[in-house]
Amino acid sequence: MNEWQPKITTFLCNWCSYGAADLAGVSRFQYPPFFRIIRVPCSARISPKFILAAFRHGSDGVWISGCHPGDCHYLEGNYYARRKFAMLKGLLEHIGIEPGRLNFSWISSAEATKFAETAKIVADQVKALGPARYFIKKRAEVA
Amino acid sequence: MKEYTEKIRETAKSLLKEGKVDIFIGYRKGTVPMMNEPFAVSDPDKTDLLYWDSNCGMNLCNYLTKRTDRIGIIANGCNSRNIVTHIIENQIKREQLYILGIPCTGMIDPRAVRRAVKYREITDVEESNGRVIVKGDGFEETFEKKDVLQKNCAECLHRNPVIYDELVAEKVPEQEGIETFRDVKKIEAMGSDERWGFFTRMISSCIRCYACRNACPLCYCTTCFVDEAQPQWVGKSNDPTDTMTFHILRAFHCAGRCTDCGACERACPMGINVRQFTKKLNKDALELFSWEAGMREDRRPPMDVYKVDDYNDFIR
Amino acid sequence: MTDKVFLKKDWVEALKAARDSFRIFVPVRDGDFHNFHSLEDWTIPNFDFFNTRLSPKSIVYPQSERIFECLNDPEDPGKGILKEAPKDYPPQAIVGIRPCDAHAFHIVKKNFEGPEYRDPWWMQRFESTVLVGLGCNAPCPTCFCTSVGGGPFHEEYLDAILFDLGDRYLARGLTEKGGEFISKMNGGSSADEKSIKEAKGLVAEAEKKVVSRLPFDKIGEKEVTGLFNAPFWEEAAFSCINCGTCTFLCPTCWCFDIQDEVSGRQVDRIRNWDTCMSPLFTLEGSGHNPRDKKFQRFRQRFMHKLKYYPDKYKNGVQCSGCGRCVRYCPVNIDIRTIAGLMNEF
Repeated sequence: MNEWQPKITTFLCNWCSYGAADLAGVSRFQYPPFFRIIRVPCSARISPKFILAAFRHGSDGVWISGCHPGDCHYLEGNYYARRKFAMLKGLLEHIGIEPGRLNFSWISSAEATKFAETAKIVADQVKALGPARYFIKKRAEVA
Repeated sequence: MKEYTEKIRETAKSLLKEGKVDIFIGYRKGTVPMMNEPFAVSDPDKTDLLYWDSNCGMNLCNYLTKRTDRIGIIANGCNSRNIVTHIIENQIKREQLYILGIPCTGMIDPRAVRRAVKYREITDVEESNGRVIVKGDGFEETFEKKDVLQKNCAECLHRNPVIYDELVAEKVPEQEGIETFRDVKKIEAMGSDERWGFFTRMISSCIRCYACRNACPLCYCTTCFVDEAQPQWVGKSNDPTDTMTFHILRAFHCAGRCTDCGACERACPMGINVRQFTKKLNKDALELFSWEAGMREDRRPPMDVYKVDDYNDFIR
Repeated sequence: MTDKVFLKKDWVEALKAARDSFRIFVPVRDGDFHNFHSLEDWTIPNFDFFNTRLSPKSIVYPQSERIFECLNDPEDPGKGILKEAPKDYPPQAIVGIRPCDAHAFHIVKKNFEGPEYRDPWWMQRFESTVLVGLGCNAPCPTCFCTSVGGGPFHEEYLDAILFDLGDRYLARGLTEKGGEFISKMNGGSSADEKSIKEAKGLVAEAEKKVVSRLPFDKIGEKEVTGLFNAPFWEEAAFSCINCGTCTFLCPTCWCFDIQDEVSGRQVDRIRNWDTCMSPLFTLEGSGHNPRDKKFQRFRQRFMHKLKYYPDKYKNGVQCSGCGRCVRYCPVNIDIRTIAGLMNEF
């Protein structure tokens, strides 16, 4: 186990993807162990600040998963979230965060297989990119 | 420009005299070249202090929020779009405003002028017929205004106000054949490492004075995220990661709202091209949501609405 | 002390020789403006400048500085006990500092070295610094050093002064420290009569060029509360956007904020420049803010510089007349105009 293991901060919507993770667990599906899961009430609850904070604290990747369009527990939260994430992903990648570090998915609570599969894809992508190099807040670089 | 100034003074005077507005917001001539000061006048006898030329780069919409009185204000293309944004975001009511529209031919970029005269000390800058005459100790040089325009003005597609009660002059022709996002595309063509290098170098001289934030009419939050203490999202030292966090979030707060008025870049004492952050968001807002900020009063901003068939390709 | 003359073509090499004894800061062209940078092998100094965009105050008083630190490690017996961050203060020299910025250090010193308190970081750095000034042959229209007790060739606050004589510099040691610095430089010849005369001529000519003034002669006799409650503040503050440009560029603004940062087990106490223009500057833990309004913060800056400081320290105004705030304020708030309002009130 000397191989480098990425840390991937994962925000899961309570009403769908979090349930999918649960179901994947009880169904004993295998998926990589790199995810630090944070349960949120809705994908729209995720502020861009959370994503930046995750990277600042040294996450090698961030994965956000919510309900399929039309299935939001609060009817339209994920639609708003989608616009916000589209803009944020564009900006972060424009600044130099590599594509593949910031991932999004729609996974319902019944889709345990999709959860495990997406987890594999995200993990592989982040692993291929290697440890995060940019935008990590270490000890302040001051005089 | 003289005609503009005269018309502004005249209009302000009559509006104040007739009691149509309580205050009139414009500019007065600055104490240093290429710099005019935002100025509010409520006494009709003092309207002669109002002034207009191509050095009115500070966005007047900064001074509109949280006001309850009736305001007369001058507005060129971008400022008028910021007024619309304010109206949409319930920062001011249309009924409170008397907007004196200014067809604008762009602002002079003090940095470009200083560069053009090789950093010699400038004592006076005059404008006539699309020319800029720069005077200093022992020199006088003339430039075409289009060569010393602020970068956002050179790329401007909306020079005429989109909302007004009266215009100071005939509308000016809009610029055509302009590739607005050329610089953004240039960065997009780079690889991730190169982009990170570009942006870190760009903000390396940042002193965190927040002039870019405060010059922006969109930044009216009661407590800015940089001032939040629990949780603290960003450190206050000039650590490069903290500085980058500030710039990313400042820009993101302007997503779908920025009119590219250029006030942020003009305000920066260190000459950082902070518009490079917001321009990417403007480009995305246009490409993903066909949105240009502040063009219509009856449309909600893009981050406030959605469509069922919005761009979804980035989501698995 | 004897004056020395250095030909401009030999100047940088002469300076580099002094690096054995000093860390040297020189003006360097940074895009559209100049700033002070450490003189390294790859540095290209550029002494052809009006003044640097940022004042050299950061060389003595960095924008962010670690002052205390500790380890938050359960194994560490000193866990959670902050200790002064270890630092050394090797001799350094600011070459090319303008007399106004040197004056500023002496204005600020009143704050950092009082009868009761002595700021160890600022003082140690200041004491290890040699100020090698460069007189201003061409003061700007925004310069008003002569009205605040300085001048384009004011020697009082410098350790050594340079006169730009076209193809050569005349260097004059003014203090022991300054003389030592010049002696460490390579080459140079004893100044000839002609150079000394030329230098003298520059001073008179430059002083004539400082035409701008800061009116404050009547502020001293005014009552503080009267000035504080004067009616003009709100109107004067109208255009202010409360950014920190004026305070951060100002060589005489010294206010700081202290922040604790934790990264892993490392705990740092960092002090950062702060600005009285920010609402956070006075925000209290209760949520109450005594300077809640823009004009109150605006008033603070000018009252501090032109009234509180002179009243408290009897050391003139807290302004050295460099004109940076006048030139770079994004909304053209001009200290000369505001001082005029206060003076005439």
